[in-house]
Amino acid sequence: MANGFQRLFLIVCASLCAVVAVAQEEPLEPIVGSDIERRSIKEEKLDRENFEIGVWAGILSIEDFGSSSVTGINLAYHVSEDFFLRASYAVSEANHTSYELLSGAVELLSDEERDYTYYDLSLGYKIFPGQVFIGRNLAFNTHFYLLVGGGNTEFAGNRYSTWSLGAGYKFYASDWFALELGLRDHIFTHELFGQSKRVNNLEAQLGLSIFF
Amino acid sequence: MSAPGLKHTWLTPWLWALSLWAVAALPAQAESWRGNNDEPLLVSVNTAYIDVHSGPGRGYPVFYVLEKAETVRLLKSRAGWIKVETRRGVTGWIPRKAMRDTLGLDGQVPQFHDDYRSDAVVGRLEMGVAMGDFGGADSLGLSLGYRFTRHLTAEIDYAHNNGQFSNSEQVSGSILHQPFPEWRVSPFVGIGAGQIKIHPHATLVATEDREDNVWMARAGVYVYLSRRFFLRAEYVNHYLLTTRDNNDEVHQWRMGFNVFF
Repeated sequence: MANGFQRLFLIVCASLCAVVAVAQEEPLEPIVGSDIERRSIKEEKLDRENFEIGVWAGILSIEDFGSSSVTGINLAYHVSEDFFLRASYAVSEANHTSYELLSGAVELLSDEERDYTYYDLSLGYKIFPGQVFIGRNLAFNTHFYLLVGGGNTEFAGNRYSTWSLGAGYKFYASDWFALELGLRDHIFTHELFGQSKRVNNLEAQLGLSIFF
Repeated sequence: MSAPGLKHTWLTPWLWALSLWAVAALPAQAESWRGNNDEPLLVSVNTAYIDVHSGPGRGYPVFYVLEKAETVRLLKSRAGWIKVETRRGVTGWIPRKAMRDTLGLDGQVPQFHDDYRSDAVVGRLEMGVAMGDFGGADSLGLSLGYRFTRHLTAEIDYAHNNGQFSNSEQVSGSILHQPFPEWRVSPFVGIGAGQIKIHPHATLVATEDREDNVWMARAGVYVYLSRRFFLRAEYVNHYLLTTRDNNDEVHQWRMGFNVFF
């Protein structure tokens, strides 16, 4: 029995000594060196948000072929506070011309040829930056923009080089989420009616976009 | 007949799905992306004051002023502006060049380079678009390049050419050599090979699509406009190996913008 107590006592003493020994070693460590490493600040460490992806829906007026709904996506890269590059892709479908409707039976284009898709690459310029106030305390950043670019339009079984002009208004609900209202003019020349004809296809669009 | 576009486009469901995802899932994701919580980037103002704008642009109103020795946290950057947060939780944007007037915790000015060359600070990938003239046709191209040394770039190009008599698509690969990458206006030469698919217009007789191999010799210049952004103008000589008696030579001029990643 005594042996048992002795053994227990010795074990407790030994472990206490060990704890004390470990505890004594500890305070020596933080004297040199600090837990905050003061590294230099490099630009690469900072999160960049120069890209923007967006979707839109709107109305496209296809000259001679009526107005149709249009949906599209775009990707933009913000080069500087003034300039950005934007690639867009959209799909729509042409209606019937007045001639087709009046004559009854004539079909100038097959259903497949009525598919209208376009893409363009544009250079944009932001103008009139500012804020709008909703109520007394809530302010949102906004700006207008101008776009000029070129691309291709696939329509009536053919592909047409297309110039595009645009303008729009952008409303930033937050730093990275924006709503926009845009107008575009897509200009190309076709010979669907026998003669060469330059058409202006106007588009109004409402979109939202995210910066990343 | 009222809205045929929406009914028939295969893209529509995807667009809706994307926008729903954007609205629902992104706020949470965005917070975690921009977290960087492990190592906050803190700087202190080392000049009389720095104006804080409400948005990333000089036209946005100044609504706050950082005082000398005030410490701010850098949150993110966009197009030459940096979003900062003060100790009291005010967030706003300061111009990137204001970083020269700050000090990091190490007492050094933060390293924000203004080099025009790509290789010192930015990534090796470059993406670009170019427009031009392809033997009388309008040409529009997309390119993706990988810079595997300071001087050499491997590039893949895809182009649409629309002409009076035919349209064509071209896929090609090239190697470009820049002898003086450190120059702000830096010339380059290159060679490449690819394939071109030509569709004569249906209004012409005896139309048949052709597919030809093509060799290319290229020369042009890079003009660095900013750190990540440059203009590229070039001449490309295309040599089409046709199945007919004679091979074709096509001259192409084009100009475009490229971005480094």
